[in-house]
Amino acid sequence: MADSIQTERDNSPDTEHKPAESDLSDAELLELFAGHGVYRDNAAQYRGRLAGQLLINRCADCDRYHQPPRPMCPSCWSFDVVPTPVSGRGTIHLLMHLHAGPPADGVDYQNEGHPVVVVELEEQDHLRVTGTIHSFGNREPSIGDAVELEYLYRGGAPIVAFRPSTYQPSQPSQPSQRSES
Amino acid sequence: MARSMKRSPMKDQIAIVGIGSTGFSRGDRSPLSLALEASTRAIRDAGLTAADIDGVVATSEAGAASAPFLVASLGLTEVSHHSRPAPLIMFSLLDAAQAVFAGAADHVLIVTPVMMSSWNSRRAAADPWRRGARSTIRPIPEDAANANAYATWAGRYMHEFGASKDPFARIAINSRSNAAANELAAMRKPLSFDEYHAGRMIRTPLNMFDMDYPADGADAFVVTTAQRAAELPQPPVLIHAATTGVVGENTEDQLPSLKRHGQHVVVDHLKARSDLWIDDIDVFYPYDGFTIIALSWLENCGFCEMGGAERYLAEHWNEERQRIEIDGRIPVNTHGGSLSEGATRGTGHLREAVTQLRGQAGARQVEGAKVALVTPGGFFFNSQGAILRSA
Repeated sequence: MADSIQTERDNSPDTEHKPAESDLSDAELLELFAGHGVYRDNAAQYRGRLAGQLLINRCADCDRYHQPPRPMCPSCWSFDVVPTPVSGRGTIHLLMHLHAGPPADGVDYQNEGHPVVVVELEEQDHLRVTGTIHSFGNREPSIGDAVELEYLYRGGAPIVAFRPSTYQPSQPSQPSQRSES
Repeated sequence: MARSMKRSPMKDQIAIVGIGSTGFSRGDRSPLSLALEASTRAIRDAGLTAADIDGVVATSEAGAASAPFLVASLGLTEVSHHSRPAPLIMFSLLDAAQAVFAGAADHVLIVTPVMMSSWNSRRAAADPWRRGARSTIRPIPEDAANANAYATWAGRYMHEFGASKDPFARIAINSRSNAAANELAAMRKPLSFDEYHAGRMIRTPLNMFDMDYPADGADAFVVTTAQRAAELPQPPVLIHAATTGVVGENTEDQLPSLKRHGQHVVVDHLKARSDLWIDDIDVFYPYDGFTIIALSWLENCGFCEMGGAERYLAEHWNEERQRIEIDGRIPVNTHGGSLSEGATRGTGHLREAVTQLRGQAGARQVEGAKVALVTPGGFFFNSQGAILRSA
């Protein structure tokens, strides 16, 4: 299930700032993602975002994912670490609302505040990414909610963001089905 | 827990013999000025002079001077040990104690100024003397590291244990009630439950009263051998056990669980090396850079089960004094902690523990205090602890 994410740029509020393809120079990449904390060991992940993907470093020797991106697998000390596309699906593990913070386009710290979530990805236990969430409509997001990635764009830079998941697991384990069987 | 040889050769061998503080406030002095005042107070308090100090432990806290700069500024002759550990006091105390224990120096000065900075205080952000600390590149808001991490994990704690904000309120109110009797404290006004719950939200679920109080000030300490301490004027306070701790997966958003982080490593390490534990202590200083940190120390030190702080604090609450008294006996953060004394990075917790064990805490004195548990630091990269005892 390691397909690339289908981005919905046509529905993005910032389509006029549609990012260039990921053949940016290193300097251009750093400029586009200024303030994101781009460095040599996570540059591939940011290039992946420009291609609409969520890339997580995975060890080619032991198959373990790790976060944040590191040049060596902490599990087996292999340097054969591959930025690997993941589904972008997971559940909200941590959630807060910021009522103050660095100024950013489209970010409102007033009223309910700006949501920040840490989402645990379906690929591996405790494997998480941090981002924000799109509107959940008329309900409040909460810990445990199923979500999926949908980048939002700020000044042309894709920002990790999640929306409520519409994905149905292929092997459902719903208690109601078990009780009927 | 990692395999361990469980050695503790330094137990009771090193003493804190001098303390000096500027107190904490929203002032207009430089960190160097504060550091020098605290240093000279601590050296004099120890009955020593500049000529005796042969080790200096500075801090890499933003705005703080390097050790060589302090050596020059204090007019020291020569020093044979100097270092600049990360902020949070136990990194400094352990470095100084280990230097003395190893024979690298005999009388080591620790000095740790703190300063309101533009990232934690609007007032500081408007101060031209403090702007240097601010980067010109704006970070993105979607960040769960550092201070943000405690809001996210506080929410997780409430979710997992069905906790309300009540135990958070008790931590904050306890600090204020205690700070009222501490002349060094920046914030000494009492706090009510209503005021706490009406506090301005900063990072939901945490509000302004859940965060330490940014202030300027400095603390300094002098450490030497227990043997030498017996010749000096102050009642010696011995370092019975001290440690820092971190788990492998310690990045804030990747921490596997609240059930195993740096605090648990510190607790296990201390318990394995100390003759004294929570039934033996008279005063308790859990770090409270955020309320959730102090709550967690209480649980993780074993005063109550994980998630049990809400019930436990209600049961061990002195209604009249509006503060925590464990078993009616052990007060918590008698100086007001970082929430009320000021954001000292744990130096206040250590200084107050020494003051109590010396019997010099005045109106705050806990009668006959002989053993203190001091646990600076949060969950991720700066958990630390010490058991101190009077000689």
